[in-house]
Amino acid sequence: MQLKKTDLTGALKILAADASVFVPGEIEGIKRFVLWDGESDVDLGGANTQLPPKDILFPCTEKMYNYKMGDSIEIKEIVEKPRQVIFGIRPCDMRSIDCMDHVFLEKGFVDSYYSRKRENVTLIAMGCTTPERTCFCDSMGLDPNNAPNADVMMNDGGDTLVLEAYTEKGKAVLEALNGLLSEGGQAKKDTACTLKVNMTPELPEKLAGMFDHPIWDEVTRACIGCATCTYVCPTCYCFDIDSDNHGAEGTKFRCWDSCMFSDYTRMAGGHDPRPTKKERVRNRYMHKLSYFHERYGQHLCVGCGRCVEKCPAHMDITMFIDKAAEV
Amino acid sequence: MSSIIEELQSTVKKLLEDGTVGYVIGWGATRFPDRTTPVFITRPEDAHKLVWNHYCVNGTAKYALDDRYPEKKIGIIIRGCDSRAVNRMIQDNQLKRENLYLIGIPCDGKENPVCEGCQHKNPLVYDVLIGTPVEEKINPDRFKEVAEFEKLSQDEKYEYWAKQYDKCIHCYACRNVCPACNCKECYADQYRVGWQGKQNNRNSNQVYGLTRAFHVGDRCIECGECERVCPMGLPIMRQTKKMLKDINDLFGDYECGLNDSRPHVLGEFDLQDRDEFM
Repeated sequence: MQLKKTDLTGALKILAADASVFVPGEIEGIKRFVLWDGESDVDLGGANTQLPPKDILFPCTEKMYNYKMGDSIEIKEIVEKPRQVIFGIRPCDMRSIDCMDHVFLEKGFVDSYYSRKRENVTLIAMGCTTPERTCFCDSMGLDPNNAPNADVMMNDGGDTLVLEAYTEKGKAVLEALNGLLSEGGQAKKDTACTLKVNMTPELPEKLAGMFDHPIWDEVTRACIGCATCTYVCPTCYCFDIDSDNHGAEGTKFRCWDSCMFSDYTRMAGGHDPRPTKKERVRNRYMHKLSYFHERYGQHLCVGCGRCVEKCPAHMDITMFIDKAAEV
Repeated sequence: MSSIIEELQSTVKKLLEDGTVGYVIGWGATRFPDRTTPVFITRPEDAHKLVWNHYCVNGTAKYALDDRYPEKKIGIIIRGCDSRAVNRMIQDNQLKRENLYLIGIPCDGKENPVCEGCQHKNPLVYDVLIGTPVEEKINPDRFKEVAEFEKLSQDEKYEYWAKQYDKCIHCYACRNVCPACNCKECYADQYRVGWQGKQNNRNSNQVYGLTRAFHVGDRCIECGECERVCPMGLPIMRQTKKMLKDINDLFGDYECGLNDSRPHVLGEFDLQDRDEFM
């Protein structure tokens, strides 16, 4: 099925009738997913959003429950099941949702905060037509033209968007948009990244044996220990839990945390098993390229290139991959 | 430029060969021609990896804090701003001059907007100078942007900063890159005390912004690294410039990280200090 690009706003109005629709937009100069305002044109091309859409399903600060202490303790859980649509999410960010699904929904524990949002979200993905020079998703085993876990997959067909439903949710979307759709449509699906990285199938296991390799001394020194890479990363999912106390009552919340911070692994007695940036950067690279693969059979790096683009010290995980493949 | 690179590389090679320094901090190439990254050269045969071009934007001096008790001197390639950073950290008792070997290199400005207003292109302190000093000039517009901004109403200013700090993601890149942010433990990391919450909201973000501005206010060397590294594009220098403008207005000409030993205006008390705002 195809949708004329001139009918895009009309289609978004239909979707926004009973859900919050998030689209690529801009706030104060930063390209990110924004709540569609009901009328603005949406630009699905250009560079990918500078911030990933992960905060829609995994907010950077999420209230969990309110409490009140008196003779007894009252606890009131905060349950949110918003109906949400993420429109125009690219295959790299779709793969990151696949990674988060593994973490939050599998291996015997379901994270109810994540699952409530995940069940109620509809993912309308857009094949990438404009990879940046820092994009390397196809080296990480992704197809920039296709997101297998999308509800609806869109691809650019010139004057139209070519839509295909992959799930029951997706079929419902196409039914809702039926009046605006027509048969046919030829989509261009030949996007490829210009940056090719030597991510060999053997690398995850090879890295597992390189914990004490001298390479870490060299590649970690430029790090300034900030959390930019982890906060712009679509797959970094670590969080901390804390409370906002006001006397005898307050709110428990969870918020993003970063393995780059000095207090991340600091224990109650003061011991820190990752005392310097060497151990911290090693852990991050290992997690992305080896540990996650061992546990879930896929990489935790989706090749979106955001950390390469934003690192204050211009550190580059792709240079590390190439180097590690060679040694 | 090429002769300067050759001079730089051969100087570093010699310093490593004769054991004057243990390693040298400078800039090296990345995948992209318009981007460099800090490198740490430990072997003489690696000196050719050093680059010197329009894209050497990263500050080099702060990396010396990773190695406070070096076996041999740390070689640092420094531009004007880096030399002020070195002075800053020595004045703050964070670095010892005798632990450093400073390879000065006059800088004609880099691919970084902050360089346009630079008043100190030549290193203020060095052990060896590569190339020849470049012309420097006073920037009459040092506080122009801040003066314009001051004309806004209080509400307009609040609205502006609220929107900016709504973008902040608490990555602390501005703090970690700043040569004036050299506390052994940052107040924001004193999680047991809880000055600074980890939650991301307007209050928490603005508290951080204000605290950072005041903590570095009278020690900012105006290198602009905070603003360059901010992934969310916050105009952070506008705050420190405001602090410096007020200090200049109240206490006379003031620049940080120069070769003088003038005490920090916010770090000393003098009975003659102006206090009409009390």
